[in-house]
Order: sequence, then structure tokens, then C-alpha cells
Amino acid sequence: MLLAAVLLSGCVGSTAWPGLSATNEVAYLANTSAVHAIDLKSGKELWSFTGEKSGGLALFGGSPKIFVSTPVVTEDGLVIVLDSGNKQTMYAVDPNDIIDESPKIVWKFSDVDSHWIAAPLIIGNHLFAPNSDGNIYVLDLHDGKSEKQAIKVIEPFKDIAGQPGRLWSQPVTDGRYIFVTSLDHSIFAIDLETYRIVWHEDLSGAIPGSVVLGSDGMLYVGSLANQLEKFDPATGNHEPVLDTNGWIWGTPVADGDNIYFSDVDGYFYSYNTKTSELNWEPIKPDSAITASPLLHAGGVLLVTESGNVYFVDEAGSMTLWHESTDGKAYTTPVSAGGYVLVSYIESDYYLIALDDEGDQKWTFPAGK
Amino acid sequence: MKNTNNKTPAQPTAQQPQLPQGFSTESLKTIAVVAVLFLAFTNWDAVVAIMINLMVLIYGLVGNNFGLAIILFTILIRVVTWPLNAQQMKGATAMQELQTDKEWLAIQKKYEKDREKLAQEQMRIYRERGINPFGSCLPTLIQFPILFALIPSITYAIGSTPLSLLKLSRSLYEFQNAATLIPLNSKFLWMDLGLPERTLLLGFSIPVLALIVGLTTYVQTKLTMPPSANPNDQAAQTSKMMAVYMPVMLFFFSLNYASGLAVYFITSNILAIAQYALMGKVNWRNLLPGGQKK
Repeated sequence: MLLAAVLLSGCVGSTAWPGLSATNEVAYLANTSAVHAIDLKSGKELWSFTGEKSGGLALFGGSPKIFVSTPVVTEDGLVIVLDSGNKQTMYAVDPNDIIDESPKIVWKFSDVDSHWIAAPLIIGNHLFAPNSDGNIYVLDLHDGKSEKQAIKVIEPFKDIAGQPGRLWSQPVTDGRYIFVTSLDHSIFAIDLETYRIVWHEDLSGAIPGSVVLGSDGMLYVGSLANQLEKFDPATGNHEPVLDTNGWIWGTPVADGDNIYFSDVDGYFYSYNTKTSELNWEPIKPDSAITASPLLHAGGVLLVTESGNVYFVDEAGSMTLWHESTDGKAYTTPVSAGGYVLVSYIESDYYLIALDDEGDQKWTFPAGK
Repeated sequence: MKNTNNKTPAQPTAQQPQLPQGFSTESLKTIAVVAVLFLAFTNWDAVVAIMINLMVLIYGLVGNNFGLAIILFTILIRVVTWPLNAQQMKGATAMQELQTDKEWLAIQKKYEKDREKLAQEQMRIYRERGINPFGSCLPTLIQFPILFALIPSITYAIGSTPLSLLKLSRSLYEFQNAATLIPLNSKFLWMDLGLPERTLLLGFSIPVLALIVGLTTYVQTKLTMPPSANPNDQAAQTSKMMAVYMPVMLFFFSLNYASGLAVYFITSNILAIAQYALMGKVNWRNLLPGGQKK
């Protein structure tokens, strides 16, 4: 009976959503079991990466591989992919050196205590990679070696001794500091010169998304405490600016004086940093929104959990831009190569490319 | 022929409420089980949510320790399903004993070529002895939704990926105050319950917890395996295969999935052995090589 329970409980559905990024020619989709590189013109797979082949001691070693962090492309053309499976390994792969339809591993790094969810941030020759163990690992982009001691940004969780702060979002920089958010309700500013923590503030809820820098020079961030807060990047002084209906999951997006963001109750907000007021009443398309909005054609595209894509213009008028026929969508969409890319789970396809009118041009895998 | 059990089916008295014609107590029980299963599987999210909230409540009561919460929750589930387990064991034992009963064996031989008559005679014996042939199946069936819901409940509650955290948030009742509660502390002893466990011993990364899961599953399966009159019959062969496959399957499962699930498997195995021991059903001989031979 226990065995049947184990097998059948596998039917409860996915436990992760994909990471998606793109250059002008190629989309990179971290879709749990593999990272796929997809040609933007044709929608055909160029290569896929499933991690290092397991050796003889695979029994104790480590499948399954779990790729969910958003892949990042370096200036040299390397693709940084992160395996959240047992091996918890970060790989730099070279897409120009393909062996057996898989890119060659240039370097790898696995000296961490927990899994990768956040995408790393590249600044110059350095890679800042937040891990769920509460550390940010600073690596040399050329060889993947740790240049300095990892920056431990999270103090022990206040009520739980020894609980590491989980870093799930990509750090953001203003050129002077990097700003890191944590599920442990904290936000940090780290000096890029000294790698020291400049300030550290606590919010009332976990912060799964990153901060965004507004046109007023302030940082904006949402949390699971149903609040949008603004921070002074120099001092960390902060104040709540807006109460929301539900948790704010995705990273807010700044466009001029507007800050766009959504919540998991399915509401979409447009906040004006100049007037400190909402531009219009929150809009509720159809279901939860975890993805960040995507700026598009003078307005914003919203991807909802139902998989539908909505266009909201600057005046707050909403239209259904693309109707989904299958699956659920949680990942932030990406605009590249003239297409808007939307990824799905629990669907026949992992990725679709939409043109400027919201019409589907191809799916990956094709023909479904 | 003598009735060895001296059991007769309970006769309704004038004071007892009468069941509609054509309905027996057993058929009513079956309908009740089917109804419970139907309700559970059509309200799956609600079942999972109840379990998650119970687990999170326990988590708060034991000082934000998720490992302890899983253990206590497993004990709670065992206690709640104790009568069902006991009934299942009783039914299985009765069916097992029947396989060596003289009258049972006699009718098998006598009506070997008349399946219909054989079925009638078997039903007569069931009736006379007060045995429900589904007596061991129905309690098992009713436990299925509980077990099926347990694994996703633990997976979501640990919340080690964004989607499982989102599912956790949707399952928590309002009084739980999700904003302050999340993230749950997934550290327990030397483990992160959201990750597969490995312990570094002499330079080797050893999956200690998965090995304990395999071992306790093996011991539990062997100990609770009823003695068979004929070790070559199909039921005995299936039991033997289960004693091998179950530990291997659960070992590999624990190797690759969150160690919180391994904690559940180990606790569940130990509790199953304890329950069988308390009911005097543990067959310690099975642990010895050739222990099943009488």
C-alpha cells in the first residue's frame, strides 16, 4: 500500500516551474530535467543539457537532475545553468562546442550546502550566485573558481537557530551595491568593492522576488506580507507604500514613473512613484499571477496562472492578447527576436512563441 | 460438519432497526467506504489541505521543528487509522486461517470443476463463520486517500521550490498566518528536510536515511508477513517478492527525494512494527534465514 501511495502520489503534479531567458537568436529553457536551447526563428532545439553523465557510483551519486533556475548568458557566450538536484552544481557550458548534441562543460561549481533557485548576476568578470543555503558565491567567470570567501548574507533566522536564509531571487545592482532579497523576510545591500554588508532590513514577510530601481531612485520590492515597500538604496530606510490583496511573488517592473506588479490573488497594479498613488484601480484578469509583467508596445503583458496572456495599456484597459489552450504558466515571459516567449507546465508544450499580435508562431516541442 | 469457529452471523432482533431488503451490514459498509473514497478523491485539494494544516499546527506546537512535526503527524495518522489497521489484520488472519481449514479444503476439492457451486459453498462458509472476504480490503481502501495525500502534504509543507511554496500558501487556513510562518524551518538534526540526505563518512557521501528506510521497510515487511501453509502458493510468493521490492523501491525513492519523506517512511515502518507487536501479530521468525519454514 505504501508503495502504491508513493507511485500514485507522483500524479499530484509538478513541483517547479521553468526558468526562461533568451538572446536575440536563442531561447534557453530550464525545464526541470534539462536545459533546452531553442532557435528563435524555427522553434527547433539546437541542443539540450542534462548535466554531467553519472559515473559508476550513480547509485549514491545523484540523479535526478533538476534545472529550474533561469539560465544566464555571459558576454563570452557561455551559458550558466544550475542543477538543483542532488549534485547542486552550477555549470558553465559552451554552446559553440557541441558534443553528442550537448554543449561542452567549461567549468562547474558545486561547493554549496543547498539547492539553486535564483539566477546568478554577472558583473564584469564575476558571477554572483545566491544559493538556498544563505550564501552568495562570488566566482570568476573564466574558471568558476571562488575568488573570495562566499558572502554569507543571512544572519540566523530570528526564531530558528541555524536556519539558513533561502536566497531565491537574482540580485540586482545599481553599480555600487548589490541588493539581495531572502525568503527569511530580509533584504541586504552589499558593497561591490568590499563584499561587505552595508545594510540589512527586515520585512514582515518572505521575499521571493527581486527589487527594482524606480525612476525616483528608490528600490521597490514586494513580499508575502501583501505589501509593496520602498527602500532608500543608500541607507536601507524603508516604508510600506501599498497594501495588496495577496502575496506579491514576481519582481516589480519599472517604466518611467510607474511601478507595475501583480499578486497571487490575481490582481495587477500600476503605482505612480511621483504621485505615490495607484494610476487606476487594480485589474483582475482571471487567475493568480506569479510572473513579472513584461513591458510591451507601450503597455504591459501579463501572464496568468491559467496560461492566458493579457495586454494592459497605460490607461489600464485590458484585453485578452493570447488565449491558452493548455497548461499553467508561472514563469516571467521574455521578449526576444521579435517574439514574446511564454513557458508552461502541465502542458503538451513547454514554450510558445507569440508574434506582435499575440498569435502563436511555434511551440516547443513542435507539432503538438 | 463441525463449525470450528462456533461463530454464527448476528440475527436481527425485534429491537434492532431493520435494514432494507437485500441490504446486509457488509454491503452498507462497502457503500460507506466507496462514498468516503469518492468524496476524498473529488475533494483532493481539501484532503491535502487538512493534512498540511494539521502538520503546520504541530510544527508550531513543537517549537518550529518540522522533523518532529512529521514524526508526530505520522503517529497521529497511525492512531487515527488504528481501528482500520486492526480490522485489516483481523480480516487477513481469518482468510489466512481459512486456507488450512479442513472444510474449506474439502469443498475446493469437491467442487473443483463446478465454479458456480464452489462459489456458493465459499459464500456459505463465509456466512457461517462471520468472515467478510473483503474484510481486509475495505480498511485498506479507506486508508488510501490518507496515504496518497500524505506525500504531497509533506512535499508542499517543506516548500523547497517556488511552486511547492505557492501550493503551501494556498493550502494554509487563514488562522495560520502564512506571512509570518513562511518559510518553515526545514532543518532537522543534520538534515535539510527539503533535500535528499547524504552524510559524509570517511570521504564518502553516504545516504544514511535512505539506507535506514530500506532496512526498516525490509524488517517491517518480513515481520508482518503472515506464515503460509504452503510457501509455494501464489500469496506466499507475492509476499516474498514484496519483501524484496518494497525496500528497494523505497530506498531509491528516499535516495532522490526530500529527506522529510524518508523521515515519514522510517517513522511509519517503526510504528507498523509496533502496532503488529502490540496485537501479537509480529512473526519474529521471519527475520531468520529460512524462518518461514515450519
